[in-house]
Amino acid sequence: MISRRHFLSLGLGFAAGLLFPGPKLPSCAPFPQFFFAQIKYRGGEWDPNPEFVEAITEELELRTSINGLKERRLTTVGDPDLFYYPFLYMAGKYEFEPFTPQEREILRRYLTYGGFLFAEDTMGAKGFGFDRAFNREIKELFPAQELKRLPPDHSVYRSFYLVDNIGGRQRVNPFLEGITIDNWTPVIYSMNDLSGAWARDRFGKWINECVPGGEAQRSSAFKAGINIIVYSLTSDYKKDLIHHPFIKRRQNL
Amino acid sequence: MSLNQVTIAPIFPLWLIILLLVLGSAAAIFQYRLIRKRLGRNKALGLSLLRLAAISLLISFALNPSRAERREHEVSQAVAILVDTSQSMGLLGHPGSGSRLDEAKSLLNGGPSPLLKSLAERFELRLYGLGETLRPIKAGDVTRLKAEGKKGDLTDALGKLTGKNSLAVLLSDGNLKWEGDNPTGIPVIAVPLGDSDGYKDLLLRTVKAPALAFRGREVTIDVTVRGYGYSGLTLPVILKDGERLLTAKNVRLSESPGEGTVSLSFIPEDVGQHNLSVAIPPQFGESLASNNSINLPLKVVRDKIRILMVSGSPSLNYRFLRTAFKNDPSIDLLSFVILRTPSNILNVPVQEQSLIPFPVETLFAKELKNFDLLIFDNFQPHPYLRANDPEKVKEFVREGGGFAMIGGPNFLGEGGYAGTSIEEILPTRWAGKGDYRRDSPLGVKLSRAGMAHPITHLSPDEGDNLSLWRNMPPLDGVNRLEPKSSGTVLLESTGEISRPILTVGSYGKGRVLVLATDYSWKWYMGMVAAGKGNWPYLRLAERMVRWLTKDPGLDPVQITLAERAGAVGQDAEFRIRVSDEGTISLAVFNPDGVKIGARLKPTGKPGEYLGSFLPEKGGTYRMKVETRTGYLEESMAIPGLMEDLDGAPNNERLKTISASTGGKILGRGDDLLKEIQAHAARAQNRFVEERRLPLWAKLYFLIPILGLLGLEWYLRRRWGLI
Repeated sequence: MISRRHFLSLGLGFAAGLLFPGPKLPSCAPFPQFFFAQIKYRGGEWDPNPEFVEAITEELELRTSINGLKERRLTTVGDPDLFYYPFLYMAGKYEFEPFTPQEREILRRYLTYGGFLFAEDTMGAKGFGFDRAFNREIKELFPAQELKRLPPDHSVYRSFYLVDNIGGRQRVNPFLEGITIDNWTPVIYSMNDLSGAWARDRFGKWINECVPGGEAQRSSAFKAGINIIVYSLTSDYKKDLIHHPFIKRRQNL
Repeated sequence: MSLNQVTIAPIFPLWLIILLLVLGSAAAIFQYRLIRKRLGRNKALGLSLLRLAAISLLISFALNPSRAERREHEVSQAVAILVDTSQSMGLLGHPGSGSRLDEAKSLLNGGPSPLLKSLAERFELRLYGLGETLRPIKAGDVTRLKAEGKKGDLTDALGKLTGKNSLAVLLSDGNLKWEGDNPTGIPVIAVPLGDSDGYKDLLLRTVKAPALAFRGREVTIDVTVRGYGYSGLTLPVILKDGERLLTAKNVRLSESPGEGTVSLSFIPEDVGQHNLSVAIPPQFGESLASNNSINLPLKVVRDKIRILMVSGSPSLNYRFLRTAFKNDPSIDLLSFVILRTPSNILNVPVQEQSLIPFPVETLFAKELKNFDLLIFDNFQPHPYLRANDPEKVKEFVREGGGFAMIGGPNFLGEGGYAGTSIEEILPTRWAGKGDYRRDSPLGVKLSRAGMAHPITHLSPDEGDNLSLWRNMPPLDGVNRLEPKSSGTVLLESTGEISRPILTVGSYGKGRVLVLATDYSWKWYMGMVAAGKGNWPYLRLAERMVRWLTKDPGLDPVQITLAERAGAVGQDAEFRIRVSDEGTISLAVFNPDGVKIGARLKPTGKPGEYLGSFLPEKGGTYRMKVETRTGYLEESMAIPGLMEDLDGAPNNERLKTISASTGGKILGRGDDLLKEIQAHAARAQNRFVEERRLPLWAKLYFLIPILGLLGLEWYLRRRWGLI
């Protein structure tokens, strides 16, 4: 039974919450280390899979020790809080407007000094639409680099699961691409529409069918998603020597 | 005067003289023809010959004839006497004769007819003392000679002898330098001193040790022991660090003189300057005990700082700390991240996941001692640590390890450390239930202690440092803690109630640190966002590690010793660096613990001074430097004069010297005076003086010319030509 004092304090707290919005992040999960910050850009379609967050965050919490937020934060490249986001997410189907020089400078600094961006072309059309625009921006951000296939021994394929192919709603590339600076890959890119495979409606039904691999392909998409998130928080931890014999043994099983 | 004593040195060219003679002869012939008709043939011929003779004599003076005179002189002979005065001459000589130097004095001045006196009567005597340098002495000074200083250099000394000496007499035990060159060619008569047969001594002949060693890596010191008169002896060679025994090994001397070699190994555990000593115990009858031990300064550094980090879950805090540690080549990081907890679902076969077991048994029971620093990053002990593991951590810190706890939801109370040995060693305590808060972001500010502490001293400029911390982004999550009395708060939260954010302390020999937030990574990205770069975070991480691992580079006072050990009687210098530019004082204590004079002068660089003192004897000197913020004691080993002395009489060297100079080594029964006389007689003691006297300057050479000319004049007058 609730006491009068407790009731009053709850009421006052609620009123104070209305008057003074508290922390920027909603506290759905206790003390989250992880949440998606999705980039809204100009032109194209920045939000092809609006329902993708809940299922992957749920799986993340079920399978790993990471506490995540089941709500995404929407942001822009010019957002001053950009540098405090652990995981930038950017997706789309169509070509989008170029970033301004100022936006590019912010994004370049964010990515060069430790930020992380996972981007995906949900259309999966190489050289067209989102893929063309994203490659254009990467070229502007890192003129000396280009998106390259991440090698099979990259930490992202072994950060939690041992992954040898990448699933998704579609299967354009069985691998991930990325930009690597020293030992850190701040940009990871997929054309398989991982978020399409993660997306689930409010009744718990998958929104999209995974083709051609069906549910096995969806499962692979979740594994890839978890690996990308774990990689964003641990970097090349799995490259430490202590992991080598274990990983090698399991790969040979 | 004989003709072979006459030499000529023409004042004109020879052809000119011959030409003049020809002209003179032509003039005489011309005169003969002129007067032949008047005087007749004979008289004309007579006058002409007289004229020719006078002209020829005059012209012959142009040849500048001179007479050479040779005189042979005798010179008095000089003898140089060199008395060895190096330190080994102070050792015992033959039984009953005192020291070797006493033997030399007795030889020169002893007996009814002292040798010095006898020699002075026969020769020109030049006396020298041969220590580290050659110095002339008077006969009266011989009795006052003292054995001191290092061995002399005979080659150098012979080159410096003054005047012309017939021979040199060397009174020595043979412990001197000789390079085989004799620049003057003087024969050396060597008079050996000391009892080579009865000499007994043990010494450390060579000690090969590194000046720099790495902590945790084996150091080997090779020692060669030499013995005289101790054939068949087995004795221990002892290696100590200060008063602490490190190791000892036996060495056997199978013959006399003989040598034995032994290798002493140990693993240095503490970084810093160590004063090692190698010693062999003195034996009965030894001539010299001071060469039985030697001091060895050894600087121990760590090759890499080994960090074991355990993170409770993947997080940005882990990633940015990892980035900072991996960027530092002096850090060797082993990290474990709890990727899944027992409550997480494992939905794939084991071969499809990359997780490895957390080797808690190996880490905490066996390997922990091999690390310098242990970090728990938002790590909850349950269910990973076993009941006695917190005690192992406590022991690790007590023995000198560093320990850092980084906050988060799993920290302290909620993490289950309450009441464990880990909570006991921390400088903070849990403030109550629900210690982790993520309400409004909290800024941080430097405490008074934090302003001067090396961890938070990110910029050398005090104002810049304050501003840097003031502009750090606020933290989204902090643990509510209270400092213990043993803790020093360096950073505290802003707001009405200040909570410790960064607190340091110590336990046993180790150091501990609590960073009560899992959002310190915002100090990295926040500064990048502000365009100030990532260096403040990287520097903070580096300084936390170095402070926790007791890196001397972060101490408020640092003393750097010279690489070469000092020497008795020479200024010993060392460099001092202080972080606080205020008052600085230096005190130096000699091996007996007595304070001695020391000098301190600024080098011109900020916070850097040059300290020095004059060691009067060998041993370990202690230097203490004090500033307002701390003090440091360091010690310096000064080798003693006799520390490495091999004092055995070296007759072989004397034989070599005398043989290579054409001299002689004398036996005990030989008569030194006779030998000197015999050698002096062989030496060249005469010289020839040659003088040249020009003949034309002599009157008796003018007389024939005048006579000839006068006779010619007389005859001309008589025969009516004048």
